[in-house]
Amino acid sequence: MRKSTPYLLLGPALLFTAFVLGYPLLQNLINSFRDVSLLRADSEWIGLRNYTQVFGDDLFWLTFRNTAVYAVVGTVFALLIGLGLAILLNMKIGRISNVAAALYTIPWVISPVVAGFAWKWLLNDNFGIVNYWLSSAGITRGGISWLGNPQTALLCVIVARVWQFYPFAMIMFLAGLQAIPREQYEAASVDGATAFRRFFHITLPNLRAITSVLLVLGVIWSFNDFNMVFVMTRGGPINASMVLPVLVREYSFVHFDLGRGSALSIIVFTLLLVLSVVYLRAASRREPT
Amino acid sequence: MMNLHSLALCALVALSCTPKSDVVEIHDWNFGGMPKMIEFLRERVESFERTHPGVRVVQSQKSWNMIREILYADFSAGAGPDVINVHANYAAEFGGAGHYYPLNKFPDFEEVRSWYVPHFIESTMYKGNTYGLPCSAIAFVLVCNKELFDREGVVPPRTWSEFREVARRLTKDTDGDGVVDQYGLVLLGGDRGGFAYRLAPFMLKAGANILSDDMTKVEFNSPRAVAAVKLFADMYQVDHSITPGFLAYTLSEINDLFSSNKVAMSIEGPWFRALVKDKSPGKDLYAVPVPVPDDRIDQYDTAPTLQDMVMYSINAHSKHVNEAWELVKHLRNVESDMAWLSTDMGAIATTMGALNSPEAKNVRDLPMYINELKHARPWPSHPKIIAIANNVIAPYGQKAISGELSPQEAMDRAAEEAREIIEGKQ
Repeated sequence: MRKSTPYLLLGPALLFTAFVLGYPLLQNLINSFRDVSLLRADSEWIGLRNYTQVFGDDLFWLTFRNTAVYAVVGTVFALLIGLGLAILLNMKIGRISNVAAALYTIPWVISPVVAGFAWKWLLNDNFGIVNYWLSSAGITRGGISWLGNPQTALLCVIVARVWQFYPFAMIMFLAGLQAIPREQYEAASVDGATAFRRFFHITLPNLRAITSVLLVLGVIWSFNDFNMVFVMTRGGPINASMVLPVLVREYSFVHFDLGRGSALSIIVFTLLLVLSVVYLRAASRREPT
Repeated sequence: MMNLHSLALCALVALSCTPKSDVVEIHDWNFGGMPKMIEFLRERVESFERTHPGVRVVQSQKSWNMIREILYADFSAGAGPDVINVHANYAAEFGGAGHYYPLNKFPDFEEVRSWYVPHFIESTMYKGNTYGLPCSAIAFVLVCNKELFDREGVVPPRTWSEFREVARRLTKDTDGDGVVDQYGLVLLGGDRGGFAYRLAPFMLKAGANILSDDMTKVEFNSPRAVAAVKLFADMYQVDHSITPGFLAYTLSEINDLFSSNKVAMSIEGPWFRALVKDKSPGKDLYAVPVPVPDDRIDQYDTAPTLQDMVMYSINAHSKHVNEAWELVKHLRNVESDMAWLSTDMGAIATTMGALNSPEAKNVRDLPMYINELKHARPWPSHPKIIAIANNVIAPYGQKAISGELSPQEAMDRAAEEAREIIEGKQ
């Protein structure tokens, strides 16, 4: 086999990748330095103006903060719930574990758009079941406007995000738990370690690599999450739950300012690129060398 | 086997060499509309195809909510349909940008123009050109839940103070559990465009303008316009007579609340009766003009509300403008417009022939809508007005009503941003 053969075989795939990934990315980068609008056919080079406009926009900073909260809080809680359920499932209580594992993964396989609409109805202030349960239990009086209140809208989309992400975390943790050698627990038991100490000194250290990968992945996916927030709140009310992907749409297809939208998407891309490098490093630490 | 392949190849070549069909294909996009209207338009297109055998029409139904995104994406690519059914106030934005064909270029335009109520067709004009034939006129009015009004023994309000008082009286705890479960008013806050369309009628009724007549100055922060915003802010923050969750509501939720007697009033238009009827058959409502400030009660029937309308336009890039024009006339002539009287299309007919016909006398609320439309004003014919309404008036109006900013501060900030948009700084 000639030395060039592998490259020739890879050629079509590389060309395809360049076309579907490289070209849009490059065009987006070019657009971010131009005054591009869907309202006009022409466009001009304006240097960094789109970027300075984005950084000078108060809405960007509010959105950045919202996205960070959405990503970090949503991921951390999803991981905590996922870990808890994985530990329960790992106890292998007869067939219940298998059934429960299947049930717990349902949120992960539901389309975010469908899930968004479902959550919107669950949280409806007048007809939603959440308010019904809360008032039936005597916790609240009357319908709380979860999605119509700027104080609670972001919290609600975070809850929906946690609900959708925890099954993935649960499956990953479950795989991690099953890979921990039983001898470690047996030795610890012989030495008189309590369940609490076994958890903190055996279970958690063994799950450290998985946890770091899940954290980074969860934050990256949350930063990219458009569907759930758009369906539930469209970033409202009054931008209270605005996140970066929704703001990109806002700049591009509500204000029709593609240049500014491109600049913002490049900023988000750069952020995610940094996180991806962190992820790759975390993943490589997970693999024994 | 070889012969079979040769035969197939010959057939393929023969097919590809067949002379092109003489049938012209017209693409017609319809945005939104009630099911009855969509069905009617389908039948109307079929009748057009029967009388115009050389033209085939491909109809597509598109999302009303994505109208600007879809049109801009297509127009900027030099594509799009031949015939489009869109907002009339897009005439300035899309006509000014050269995307709509000026209908006044057609030789029989003057005759066609005479079919319509004059100020309706004027709403489709921008800089001397007419960019669409009117369809489905709408005046924003106050709809009142008849059951709740009758039970409380109140009549639809005519002035702002009556409006506040009625809303207060109709806000109550109906089941005695100590929690308010019925509100006087609901606002559509989950759709920024829709919200601006519900705020503007009160500004106009108060005698305020959105922009100056020459469209160079922003006027929606004038004292009268701010008073309209303050009215809602007081109702929300002081009286608590507006549903607390209005910022999340879309039309669907408003219909649910109205139909289930959880709200007594909403700012809607002729579409609302049909929506409520679908959701709650037998439910009745009062449709009355939007209340006026107390000092303008003498202008209750004449003060302008917001007019909205749909129009049929032709894509300036269409290769078949003449065939498209024939289709548009067929869809919008008096004969076609009569269907807006015989069927509840959720909007008002726009031709004089239909509105002056004997059938018009039997249509419920029509005299009130005709009167309101006689004085109503559309959004100013400025290319940036939709951006100003959706991206500036609506969010700042919401901030004022929810108490994040005072009404004056909110409208001043909105005016500042609107000025930047008009001057092209944004």
